[in-house]
Amino acid sequence: MEILYNSGTLLIILGLPFFLSGTVGLIRFPDIYTRLHALTKADNVGLGCIVCGLALQSASWAVTAKLLLIWLLVLIASSASCHLIARSAMQKNIQPWTRP
Amino acid sequence: MIRDHRFVKDFTFVSFSPQFFFRILVFSTVWFVLTGSDISSWIVGVPAVLIASKLNLMLAPSSHYSISLSGALRFVPFFLNQSFRGGIDVMRRALSAKQLLNPGLVSYVTLLPEGSARIFFVNTISLLPGTLSAELHGNQVTIHTLDRGLPIWANIQNLEYHVAALIHISSDKKKSL
Repeated sequence: MEILYNSGTLLIILGLPFFLSGTVGLIRFPDIYTRLHALTKADNVGLGCIVCGLALQSASWAVTAKLLLIWLLVLIASSASCHLIARSAMQKNIQPWTRP
Repeated sequence: MIRDHRFVKDFTFVSFSPQFFFRILVFSTVWFVLTGSDISSWIVGVPAVLIASKLNLMLAPSSHYSISLSGALRFVPFFLNQSFRGGIDVMRRALSAKQLLNPGLVSYVTLLPEGSARIFFVNTISLLPGTLSAELHGNQVTIHTLDRGLPIWANIQNLEYHVAALIHISSDKKKSL
């Protein structure tokens, strides 16, 4: 069980830089569309790593199922809301930033 | 107007169809997994499950295709691999000292049938490396990309193929993808 617990810790640590880079991207990227890229993709992978890590540490099927379901629901919510935000920006005629 | 009429007709709770029971079963399972064995949580859970089932039935009536198990088994590793690469890609661009962005818009015409398959496709585009679905008009998807140098068309066609394999659609349609 020690191995499971430690590999869980490793996965959780692996997930952290994704969250960090999602936030850095949100601050550094130039417009709404590129920022959406940063938030949805990086955070989904980060959450996936943390969910898998916690599932390995929990050593319980019920908790594992719950964590995976939470990840799935977050995936659905974030990709749908990302699309809706991008669509509303397109409809407001917000032009994407392009390389000068 | 047609929509409003359907809304009124469907909201009468008269037709307890098999599809409705199937949705109740699915949403009850979701609620059970999320809340565990706490019986009192069903005070909120029962209305939530009923409303979700009814809304789901109204917004997405029966789909004309079923999900292929082998397609789903191939889709999961594909999806995990792609979204991991998408995360790495964003990380590289966000943390690099140089400006690595070269964004632009791309238009793509999908051959997937209207309904759940197309919506699923549009939503998963946002999880591929460097692409984000910005708009859907009929069968035309407007895609925003972080880097116009990426092989966007090839990536999206690949995703479209995987989504088509996920559902049972006629094989000649699949070939044309």
